[in-house]
Amino acid sequence: MINIIKIALLSLLLSSLTYAKNHVIDQRGKTFIPHELSVDVGDTITFKNSDDFAHNVYTDDEENEFDVGMQAAGTSSTITVKAEGKFIVECAIHPNMLLVVTAIE
Amino acid sequence: MMLKKIGLASLIVLTLSSSVSASEDMKKWIRPTEVPQPKDNLLTPERIELGKLLYFDVRLSTSEKISCATCHHPKRGWTDLIPVAKAVGHEGAVGPRNSPVILNSAYQNRQFWDGRVRTLEQQAVGPIEADVEMNMPLEVLIPKLNKIAGYKKLFKEAYPKSNGVITKDFLAKAIASFERTVVSTIAPFDKYAMGDKDAINVQAKKGFELFKGKAHCTDCHDKFNFSDGSFHNIGLNDGELHGKELGRYLVKRRAAWYGVMKTPTLRDITKSAPYMHDGSVKTLTEATALCANGGRYSHNVKNLSTYVKDRGLDEQEIADIVAFMKTLEGEEMKLEIPTKFPQ
Repeated sequence: MINIIKIALLSLLLSSLTYAKNHVIDQRGKTFIPHELSVDVGDTITFKNSDDFAHNVYTDDEENEFDVGMQAAGTSSTITVKAEGKFIVECAIHPNMLLVVTAIE
Repeated sequence: MMLKKIGLASLIVLTLSSSVSASEDMKKWIRPTEVPQPKDNLLTPERIELGKLLYFDVRLSTSEKISCATCHHPKRGWTDLIPVAKAVGHEGAVGPRNSPVILNSAYQNRQFWDGRVRTLEQQAVGPIEADVEMNMPLEVLIPKLNKIAGYKKLFKEAYPKSNGVITKDFLAKAIASFERTVVSTIAPFDKYAMGDKDAINVQAKKGFELFKGKAHCTDCHDKFNFSDGSFHNIGLNDGELHGKELGRYLVKRRAAWYGVMKTPTLRDITKSAPYMHDGSVKTLTEATALCANGGRYSHNVKNLSTYVKDRGLDEQEIADIVAFMKTLEGEEMKLEIPTKFPQ
């Protein structure tokens, strides 16, 4: 019986790992590409800096708050979407850079 | 009529574009054909004219001596030409920062040096209430304006939904409408960008190439407005900023915002010295050397912008860049400053 429960839990874990996707957002020319993104809760977003200067991606959304800090040219940072909802991601250095993320359960 | 009021400069650009055309690599420097404006406050002649009256009306201050124009005057480069807002605020109060130029604010999506609000509507009422500026609480000003029949009539014409009842929202919208028309006029560089190769001289052309290239000025001073609206600590102060200007960090304690300020436009930059948020830089030569050769204290500045590096510019190259920036000075703006106000 215990073994069955363990197998069931393991299956659940594996299935969640299987379905979590990674989405790549490029930062190029002081723009998020694409600038709109639909994700599932639990998915990850990788922010790639293709510009030859620094960026700093963050959101002040209460449920999904993150700040990857200063991101040097050519580097990437990944975050996990924690909650459903629509939120705006900005660059702390370049406020004209806006990404709208829609997350669903 | 509307074009005459709000888009004179744009109209001239359109006229220019019919005779000359910009090459592909120059397109990003061309003036947008329209001034950005929110859907709930589209520009009309009535709104602009009302906003202009309010902008120049000293009755919007408690002392009745200060208007928006006191610190942001068209004859003084849309600023006040003093290092910080000294002795111009309420009863001679000293503001902590160099009065920002409001030219081309319509193209910025964050307002004030620290970017604490997004829109001109949000910005417009801030200095009215600030105790070191106009020091006028809105709960006093709004009833005061509602007793001026002339203003009530103008608000009704500009904003029919107001029915002549002046509120904070309509006041902000009217002032923002005027500010949105404070747009730089055609400068020699605009003609050059549109294809007139003789519009700027050889030294300025060299300066432009340095500006885009070796000096990396366009990392921040980019596109038509010569500002990408970005925020940086360019090293005006050394080390920790105890007791000094914390910039956008005051808005929120985000590490990236320690000591940072918004990149100002370079349009008409010749008219608005002294420079920087603290007014500590007197000349364009000094400003260029400071930004492009590594900051004032490049070795010990907390959160120094990674954009600020020693680009190794010599004196001649800095002079060339300054010569280029002088080509961003536009023709004199045609603006009738009101002398009579609604009663």
